[in-house]
Amino acid sequence: MSNNEAKFLLNACRPNGRDASDPAFAAAMAQARSDPALGAWFAQEQAHGAAVAAKLQEIAPPPGLREAILAGGRATQRAAAVRPRRPMVTWGALAACFAALIAASVALWPARAPAANALTSFALYDVAYGRHGGRGEATAELAQQLGSPATHLSAGLPIDFSRLKNTGCRTLQVAGHSVLEVCFVRNGAEFHCYIGRAADFHVGAPAAVQFVQQAGLTAAAWTKGSYRFVVVGGAGLDAVKRLL
Amino acid sequence: MSNEAFTQLVDAHYASLYRFALSLARNGADAGDLVQETFFVWATKGDTLRDQAKAKSWLFTTLYREFLRGRRRDARSTSIEDLPEDEKDIAAEDVDRIGKMDAPAVMAALQSVDEVFRAPLTLFYLEELSYLEIADALDVPIGTVMSRLSRGKAQLRTALSDVDRGAGTKVVAFAAKGGRA
Repeated sequence: MSNNEAKFLLNACRPNGRDASDPAFAAAMAQARSDPALGAWFAQEQAHGAAVAAKLQEIAPPPGLREAILAGGRATQRAAAVRPRRPMVTWGALAACFAALIAASVALWPARAPAANALTSFALYDVAYGRHGGRGEATAELAQQLGSPATHLSAGLPIDFSRLKNTGCRTLQVAGHSVLEVCFVRNGAEFHCYIGRAADFHVGAPAAVQFVQQAGLTAAAWTKGSYRFVVVGGAGLDAVKRLL
Repeated sequence: MSNEAFTQLVDAHYASLYRFALSLARNGADAGDLVQETFFVWATKGDTLRDQAKAKSWLFTTLYREFLRGRRRDARSTSIEDLPEDEKDIAAEDVDRIGKMDAPAVMAALQSVDEVFRAPLTLFYLEELSYLEIADALDVPIGTVMSRLSRGKAQLRTALSDVDRGAGTKVVAFAAKGGRA
């Protein structure tokens, strides 16, 4: 084996030493030990690789990404768990399966948070890192209404989900379900309103507005009628409360 | 998969997956979306993986496929045969120089490497996958992985030198907010 051939192989040897026992590198490594020039090259190559690897390790994922993944994963798995896979079953079998799946769901998710939290986590993440946009007359009307100081969001909003979605309102997929997003400005501060169908997010009886603060953003989440709403802004808790 | 097992899987791999995604997508928002999409696919299909020990490789493979699916192919991408050989060896100063750089600058240099070399090169430096696993994840022959690593390293050395000289640097958004409606 020439030194160039050995270098070609050794280039694929990770600097953390985990490939040291790989037989594919044995001959090249032996040659590096016996040839000072090749050995010096290999040592520098490994040091260079280790330096690059160390720098890559310093890059941290954005805050909120882990929570968004976990929330989305739970919601997705739960949605999959309650969806019957075979439509041609008897009602008795369907009922038995449903009961078993509910029992399994309870067993698998002992510390389960309401799936509605998945939408809140997603909304916080999306405001921090998402690419926003949207168009359409219905979207503009809703944005205008949201931006009006006279509008109290928690009192109810005229949502025509299909019309908004079909005319260009930004539509996202959260755990496999469509969620509308509308950006608006109120008193000079920017907010983002997320609207999902309550049935898609396993929301029970309407409860009080929930507030979540994370990475400088505040989210308020509530259910009104058949929709689940989450509004997110960076102007603080009081500014979000004033919207409601 | 149980809630706890899913959390462990996420904790074990999401940071490395994000770094891989960041090198491919070149911006933090798309990288985060890629990682989320990867775990979404896992949540819907991961249970079908018979050998759970291969979960790590499966996740990197899925992320790469999602990346390829989500972007338009760049017809101008350089083929391996077009690239000149770079036989320049590494000097001790090169290693010291990297140590003094900040991490985003090193990532920016990596992001400037041609995509065909960047994917195996990032997986190599993440040190999570062996060359055999990289070949499997990217669905290319082992010899091709070795060739791309060799040539990718040469490009990276040049890019790191350029960054250090202040030339050819790129502004990379790691956690930048996207545009607003």
